[in-house]
Amino acid sequence: MIDPPAAGPVVFESVARPLLLVHAVVGFAAVGTATHFAAYAVIGALRGSTTAQLRRFSALAPAALAAQALLGFALYPTYRVRVRLGDLDRTAPAVAQLFDLKEHLAALALALVAAAAVATRAGAKGNLRTWAVAALSSSGATLVWAAAIIGLYVTARHPVGGP
Amino acid sequence: MTEGPRGAGSDGDVALRAALWGVSGFAIGYLLPGALRLPVLTYDPIGHAALLTAAPRGAQMRYYGDVLWACAAAAAAALLSRALRGRPLDVPVATAAALSCVALDLAWFLSRLLASLQ
Repeated sequence: MIDPPAAGPVVFESVARPLLLVHAVVGFAAVGTATHFAAYAVIGALRGSTTAQLRRFSALAPAALAAQALLGFALYPTYRVRVRLGDLDRTAPAVAQLFDLKEHLAALALALVAAAAVATRAGAKGNLRTWAVAALSSSGATLVWAAAIIGLYVTARHPVGGP
Repeated sequence: MTEGPRGAGSDGDVALRAALWGVSGFAIGYLLPGALRLPVLTYDPIGHAALLTAAPRGAQMRYYGDVLWACAAAAAAALLSRALRGRPLDVPVATAAALSCVALDLAWFLSRLLASLQ
């Protein structure tokens, strides 16, 4: 096996620390917009209609999540070599598995929120339809929260771009 | 059960059906390649190479490939749903099916996490 510190440069490693900071800031935005989207979707379902705020967050939430996913994709090779292979696989394999779960939660959350946004913007009206949007967006927001908390935990243990 | 005064083929229904089918397709397309050990696009961050493999080793990453599979499956499912255009949309059943597919993924990934803790 290649010793990770001896491995050559990894793509985006030179900007890993600033990318991680942006990833954190966009992560807060993703959690906030996904939560607002879910809350307005539930309010809309209770009223049986959509609101201007719901339409606004149906654009903001998937945009924030997509940006967050792209930043995660960019950071992933550095995490994989310097954090996972270089540390977690040896010292805390359960944390590495937990991070794997976070990746899966994030991917599924993006799919759920994007689907809810598509349905909202196409004008899903009627009680059952608005409840369908509420179910998709609420499930997505729950997964976003779980992914964010796991991400913070793993980063607190060994941040990308750190020693 | 169907619901709504509008026609079954309204834009809202077509989009909602495509969205729900897309979620189901994404969840299935995300789960199957890993569970069935199908070959996926894999990136080797040390060797700076992309390869097609079912069993990544070392630092090789299959996440990008899994997401690609899932996106392709979601797009295919959403396109397939257009074939049902004109039929009434059973909103509760379609929603429950989509969320069940996501729940299946979560159960699978959680089981792998719990297995690794033992």
